[in-house]
Amino acid sequence: MSTALLEMTGVRKRYGGVQALDGASLTAVRGEVHALLGPNGSGKSTLDKTLAGTVVPDSGEIRIDGAVARIGGPRDAHALGVAAVYQQLSIVGDLTVTQNVVLGLEPARRWGFLDHRAARDRAGAALERFAAAFSGRLPLDRPAGSLGPGELQIVEVAKALARGPRILVLDEATASLHKEQVEVLFEVVGELRAAGVLVLFTSHRLDEVFALCDRATVLRNGRTAGTVELADTDEAELVGLMVGDVPHRAPRRAPATTGAPAPTEAFVGAGPEARPGAEAEAEAVPGAEARAGAEARPGAEAVPGARLEVRGLTTERLRDVGFTARAGEVLGLGGLQGQGQSELLLALFGAARVSAGEALLDGRPLPLTSPVRAARAGVALVPGDRGRQGMFATRPIQENLSLASMRRRARAGLALGAAAERSAARSMVERLRIKLGSLADPVSTLSGGNQQKVVIGKWLLDRPRVVLLDDPTKGVDVAAKEEIYAIVRGLADDGAVVILNSSDNRELAELSDRVLVLFEGAVVEELSGAAITEGRLVAGALRLAPGESL
Amino acid sequence: MNVPARLRDLRWAGVQLSGVATVAMLVVAVAVNTALQPNFWGGYALTSNFATFVPLVAIAIGQTVVVLSGGLDLSLGAQVTLASVVAVQVVDGRLDRLPLAAAAALGVGMACGALNGLVVALLRLQPIVATFATSFVFSGLALVVLPTPGGSVPIEVTTAYRDSVLGVPVALLAIVGLALLWRVLRGHRVLRHVYAVGGDAEAAYASLVPVTRTRVWAYVLGGLFAALSALAVLANTGSGDPFVGNELTLASVAAVVLGGTALAGGRGGAGGSILGAMVLALVTNIVFFADVPTTYRQLVNGAVIILALALAGIPALQKRRPAA
Amino acid sequence: MSAPTVEAPRRVLAWRPGPVALAGAIAVALVIAGELLSPGFAGYGQLVNLMRVAAFLGVIAIGQTIVIIAGGGGVDLSVGKVATFAAIIGSRVMAGDDAGIVPAVALALLVSAGIGLVNGLCVTLLRIPPFVMTLGMIGVVQGLILAYTGGQASGRAAPALTSLVNGRVVGDLPGLLFLWLLLGLLAVWLLRRTTFGWNLFAVGANRTAAELTGVRVNRTLIVAYVLSATFAGLGGILLLGYTESVFLDLADQYMLPSVAAVVIGGTLLAGGIGGYAGTAVGAIVLTVLQGLLTTLDIGGAGRTVVNGIVLLVLLSLYGRQRRLRS
Repeated sequence: MSTALLEMTGVRKRYGGVQALDGASLTAVRGEVHALLGPNGSGKSTLDKTLAGTVVPDSGEIRIDGAVARIGGPRDAHALGVAAVYQQLSIVGDLTVTQNVVLGLEPARRWGFLDHRAARDRAGAALERFAAAFSGRLPLDRPAGSLGPGELQIVEVAKALARGPRILVLDEATASLHKEQVEVLFEVVGELRAAGVLVLFTSHRLDEVFALCDRATVLRNGRTAGTVELADTDEAELVGLMVGDVPHRAPRRAPATTGAPAPTEAFVGAGPEARPGAEAEAEAVPGAEARAGAEARPGAEAVPGARLEVRGLTTERLRDVGFTARAGEVLGLGGLQGQGQSELLLALFGAARVSAGEALLDGRPLPLTSPVRAARAGVALVPGDRGRQGMFATRPIQENLSLASMRRRARAGLALGAAAERSAARSMVERLRIKLGSLADPVSTLSGGNQQKVVIGKWLLDRPRVVLLDDPTKGVDVAAKEEIYAIVRGLADDGAVVILNSSDNRELAELSDRVLVLFEGAVVEELSGAAITEGRLVAGALRLAPGESL
Repeated sequence: MNVPARLRDLRWAGVQLSGVATVAMLVVAVAVNTALQPNFWGGYALTSNFATFVPLVAIAIGQTVVVLSGGLDLSLGAQVTLASVVAVQVVDGRLDRLPLAAAAALGVGMACGALNGLVVALLRLQPIVATFATSFVFSGLALVVLPTPGGSVPIEVTTAYRDSVLGVPVALLAIVGLALLWRVLRGHRVLRHVYAVGGDAEAAYASLVPVTRTRVWAYVLGGLFAALSALAVLANTGSGDPFVGNELTLASVAAVVLGGTALAGGRGGAGGSILGAMVLALVTNIVFFADVPTTYRQLVNGAVIILALALAGIPALQKRRPAA
Repeated sequence: MSAPTVEAPRRVLAWRPGPVALAGAIAVALVIAGELLSPGFAGYGQLVNLMRVAAFLGVIAIGQTIVIIAGGGGVDLSVGKVATFAAIIGSRVMAGDDAGIVPAVALALLVSAGIGLVNGLCVTLLRIPPFVMTLGMIGVVQGLILAYTGGQASGRAAPALTSLVNGRVVGDLPGLLFLWLLLGLLAVWLLRRTTFGWNLFAVGANRTAAELTGVRVNRTLIVAYVLSATFAGLGGILLLGYTESVFLDLADQYMLPSVAAVVIGGTLLAGGIGGYAGTAVGAIVLTVLQGLLTTLDIGGAGRTVVNGIVLLVLLSLYGRQRRLRS
């Protein structure tokens, strides 16, 4: 650890109302694999991007080899020997793999005419190191858009390596890789370390961090919470640094995750950000039991009094999903993310093409053909991607809240009363305790948690009968999380069926009366009452539990 | 999953399908034309047909480059006008000044393109309105250069243009030449960058592609092809006209769409646009020879073009999956 | 490398209170410049006349505003042709007779709405990009005009229509201005105080979210195109009252200025943000600019060039797109 290759100090960046980086610092040396850790929204990606030149910080200093580096764009970063693998891949889907790998640095003959053979050779050499990560031959001439997510990710890494960096930024480069591909990547990173390259590794999989990295810098709320030698650190300490002072929850280590053979897989199921340990187990179980006492536990299919009954639901990504849910029940959806949970919610909202199956709401068929009909039937959806699917960022909070229910208040279905709309929105702002300046402000001026409350709130003016929540607390701070939990419980208490998908097993355990575990689009396990523990959820997600199907 | 949706949504089959659709349309158009127009394949008809195609083909290629980069150039027609009136004033009926006139036209076209590029790429104005504004500048300048139709092109040029070499019309050779020019450009770094910027500007930027410069180049190339179109117009008509390009702008966009190039940018190519331009021209021909009453010609023409545009857009129908 | 979604909107926001006021300031500045360069330009009669000319563009641009707010590359290039067609139908049906006004206007607006309906259906159901669809529609409407007229426009505006448009109604102001005011208020009400308006903004701001909120996205879009064509038709009828007789390309030249007026008025071409007040001021700015250039004695060619340059300057005050680097 002589002189630092990279020193970033006091980096600040503000996006509109969000202070993404608030004086972050990081120091790393040659031949090091340095982890960059932190919860959602802690500024990891932004810090990576300031180094790669796609984000220009508001203030702060970056030194490379002791010299102040002025990085005004990706070209400056490249000149300084920085190459980046972006979380949002920098791949152009319409170009071939070869064209992508050499993009921006195409080998050319005279006058800028492309040298196709040299390009192919260079791309071939870059991908050759990852040959084991591809099934079959190297897809040099295939359009990048036709590759699967894992292969695409590998191409992105190979492209960065083809630029011959001294500093390589890997931002969530393993998230879409399967196990063999991860191994190949780790091997290559090992070679890079040996060659003296500094690798900045951002991942939410702590086991990978421990397996691969030398040191870790932890970010929290845009600031550096600390840098640790990983050899002298355990997960609890790391998590402590990441989470800071969270009241009443002392992180415990992995052994509590019964059934999981190693922490490795346990964290795979733990969601987009590391939430190791099963710390909530103790609290969750009594909570669930208390709720279970209030209502009869639903048993087999077609229980009389079932509010929502789903039979044989099949779509492109769902296989024969069936369940019933009672009024006032919170039904969790567990399993690894991307196993069809979001699709199930979209299908129930009429927003996915259903090829077979039906749903009954209060005994009457629920149309699964269009969101309009689902909404009119009393189904509400809070989608997983708030920015893209849930809110109208540039529109006023007022309109965001009114939109779903205004038709009912309008005269002749057309004319809106300003006062009526305002008071409707106000009632929701008070009920959900949304913190805002003015109803006329665009919803984008709110914090993430308050934005999410607006997205939920638009449905509550209409007392929905079924509420579909897709990871509602993603990217939401701790306080707002608790408030959203209270809203979810309140909805159930009002008699709605709440179906909750969550990437956070602790959240599932805390809120759900029952959990359906999905795997590759099918329900493989059902947990209820005291059986809903993080350990069982993780085991179920990985199909380790004895009962693979119901 | 952090694979952007745009990558997953790509349908390569869709691209091919649209290529097939364009070719099929052309085949149908040619077949119908053959049936309706006497001597469609005869030397004279062939020559005069191709002679009228060339200006649209050239401007369609220019529009293709701009559209591929993610832009749109509504001033291309005005550029054709400006380049043609400048060239006709320079040549002034004298054969020896032809090279000078051609150079002047190309210079004018590229200068116009550069202005558009600066306005769109540097000032970051919306292409639709920005190039609409520059079209005023160009057509105004054209009126300054040549207030009323006039000027003359050397008779040798117009004769040669309607001649044929070994039975192949010169105008067809011109189209082949334009296609070859496109091929050459496709082998150049700038065109590769045009595709990358139009496909995903942010990814291209992160990949060290000079995005702004590439966008400027796209408009400059658009202007270059507009100038070639202007030369074809002059060779075809023999004189200058300060309003000649007006009709070409929107037709060039239609040709690009018929050719299967996505208006969103990054996907497609000039090959389709060349075919699209020919389809457009042939439809007019067909309506003319199909004994459609004069007053209904334009209506039939317009309806057929809308139908063709709808067919060209069919691949987009395949991905009708809301929300997911 | 995409920045968080909050970033772009914030940038836009910073403009938001600006555009209408800015456009208004430019209009005033142009008038003052006109008065300085050519005394009498800002005279009462002259200003009223400019406003009257602006009214046609203003009415046609109502629909354009609606379609552009709907986003997704929404734009209606066929407004000029539709206005022309409506005027031609109106003139032929009313044939200079007051009794014919009602059926003439009804038929003209019905046909216009039908054209808009076809635009809307093709854009939503066949997914033809709006730019291309409405571009193709220009050819079809031109064809309809030729088929309907046989190449020779006939008829005449009814005297009542002419006196409504040109006659001095109140305080020496022509009726046209009151009509424009009325239609403008209607447009503002439609956008800001109706479920249609709020749905429209929602669809423009985030189409996916609108769908997942239970908004009838396609229906909203179709209605937008129908309204666009209808307002264009209305503009054509008013223009007929002004010119009294028609010719075959009467209102064609309003196509792109209607887009420019919308943009100058601060409505985002990307959709989801904007309003009609800005568009109305934008129409005035464009008209005053034209008037100013006409007054200056620089000839048609120079006028066109200056017009383009000023338009560029105006646009560069608004419609800037997002930078790639944040």
